[in-house]
Amino acid sequence: MELQYLLQLAANGIVIGSVYALLAIGLSLIFGILGVVNFAHGEFYMLGATATYALVALLGLDYWVSIVLVMLVAAAIGIALHDLFLKRIGRHEFERSMLLTLGLAMILQNGALAIWGADPKFVRVPALSGLISPFEVRIPLTRAAAFAAAIAGLFGLIYLLHRTRLGQAMRAVASNPTAASVVGIPANLIARATVAVGLAMCGLAGAALAPIYTVHPLMGTLFVFKAFAIVIIGGMGSLSGAAIVAFALGIVESTVGAYVSLSTTEGIVFAVMIAVLLFRPLGLFGRGLRV
Amino acid sequence: MNETGARPRRLELGIGAAAAALLYLLPTAGFSDYVMAVATSACAYCILAVGLNLVYGYTGLLSLGQVAFWGLGAYVAALAAVDLKWSIWAGVLVGGVIAGISGIAVAFSSLRLSRHAFAIVTLIFALLMQLIARDWSEVTRGPLGIPALPQPTLDLPGLGRFVFDTPARYYVLMLTLALASIVVVYSIVHSRIGRALVAIRDNEALAESQGMNTLHYKLLAVGVSAALAGLAGGLYVFHLSVVDPSIFDFAYTEATVIMVIVGGPGCFWAVIASSIGFSILPEALRVTDRVRYVLYGAILVAAMLVMPKGIGGLLQQRRIAAMRPRPGQGGT
Repeated sequence: MELQYLLQLAANGIVIGSVYALLAIGLSLIFGILGVVNFAHGEFYMLGATATYALVALLGLDYWVSIVLVMLVAAAIGIALHDLFLKRIGRHEFERSMLLTLGLAMILQNGALAIWGADPKFVRVPALSGLISPFEVRIPLTRAAAFAAAIAGLFGLIYLLHRTRLGQAMRAVASNPTAASVVGIPANLIARATVAVGLAMCGLAGAALAPIYTVHPLMGTLFVFKAFAIVIIGGMGSLSGAAIVAFALGIVESTVGAYVSLSTTEGIVFAVMIAVLLFRPLGLFGRGLRV
Repeated sequence: MNETGARPRRLELGIGAAAAALLYLLPTAGFSDYVMAVATSACAYCILAVGLNLVYGYTGLLSLGQVAFWGLGAYVAALAAVDLKWSIWAGVLVGGVIAGISGIAVAFSSLRLSRHAFAIVTLIFALLMQLIARDWSEVTRGPLGIPALPQPTLDLPGLGRFVFDTPARYYVLMLTLALASIVVVYSIVHSRIGRALVAIRDNEALAESQGMNTLHYKLLAVGVSAALAGLAGGLYVFHLSVVDPSIFDFAYTEATVIMVIVGGPGCFWAVIASSIGFSILPEALRVTDRVRYVLYGAILVAAMLVMPKGIGGLLQQRRIAAMRPRPGQGGT
């Protein structure tokens, strides 16, 4: 019985962890390739969830079609974000990038509050109203769907980074921008593609979690801070480190959170992050390269 | 580049002293309580902005956690007054010291990695403080906070007891702390230490190669600004007469950052002017908080794209350009 309960909690944690991974990897990718810490990452996640609400609940579109649409729109917004703002910021202007995206986050979050109000909205997907119960662990279909979508996104990302020319170019720019430009990789186009991919992951994360959580203008704020913590604990610039920490965080939050309050768990996460910096300044999976 | 030497220091101090005297006379002008409350909060913001300017403008470390030190000072002072029955002044002082020490601790842990980690860790520290304030309800009373804080009183020998009970009287108190902070930060940035901080900001490797222990200077800057924020928070909370977890609201950080950015990081007087301006602006505009923060966000984005050195930086560039024999490019 007790084991059953723990498995149940772990299953929930893995689902949330997969979505954390989407957000943290997007953040890490944008940081690795553009040197930009995207403060507005959580707000784009919030916009993804809000767009899903609009498509599914208001327009009555199919959930899976909506996810694809949201990702496409998010990618387009990513291109605009890069061309309008991030392009103008140099790789080493860290503070400038952080303040610029902080300004964008303020506009998006408070704009969303001003337009839609603070009431939480619910996305109901009739097709996902049941349960599946592998090994007696009961998982709502909405969570199973979110997990499937997030895992598809993660594998898509791995395929992109390791099996395509674009992904190779992205990794080249991340590891050595000067050498990459010497061999003729167009840094500007790669950066634009990176922001598009990162934001598509935000859109996917928002769409995946919209039917599980309520949709709300402030939902992204805590998420972006958690994504920061994940990226730091995992080691800045280490994508696999971010993914591992994201899953671990989801599981820990879900299991520990069942016994103590959720905000205590969040407090523990942030304290762990400071402790990791103190004892392993490069993160648990850092590449040994100072950023 | 620093402002030192560009203009006679004595004139600067004279204008400053005259302005301070005028500000002390403000309560006698018969303004309403509302105006005096705005002036009081302007003093509090001024302390936060001057402290952030020391850390970000002069030392080049972006702290997004000034609100953590501000709130920490507020909670320590409030708890000392309510639970320990300490005098308010002692509580405020201890709050400032604890805020300063925690600032040094946060800086020490994160600066080992990089200034990037410093920005993110200060931010996370502020969130952590808010979570603790909300959750550690045995001590902090949880989300509802501690209401009905006492009013500060001062026993003057021969003059009797003075109670800071009206906004005008509180303004005098806040103004005194603001002026003291300005004097402290002014003397730091115009001393050998200040030049060391600017050297660290402009080229840390070079500063280190000259035998400077850069970490000590950075810790000093963070510690002083955190202590000032803690003192300001501790004093301000008795004006609010209640302390709850919203004292750690990220909006305070956003407002302070905007004041420093628009004023011009590393420009002493411009940041003070912009902190006063941005404290009055929302009252003058009379828009909702939401619209105000959308505007603030737009200002921040525009400032980052067009003038990352702020208005003070633009003026300084002009002055430097005017000093050159032929038009060249501005200072860095």
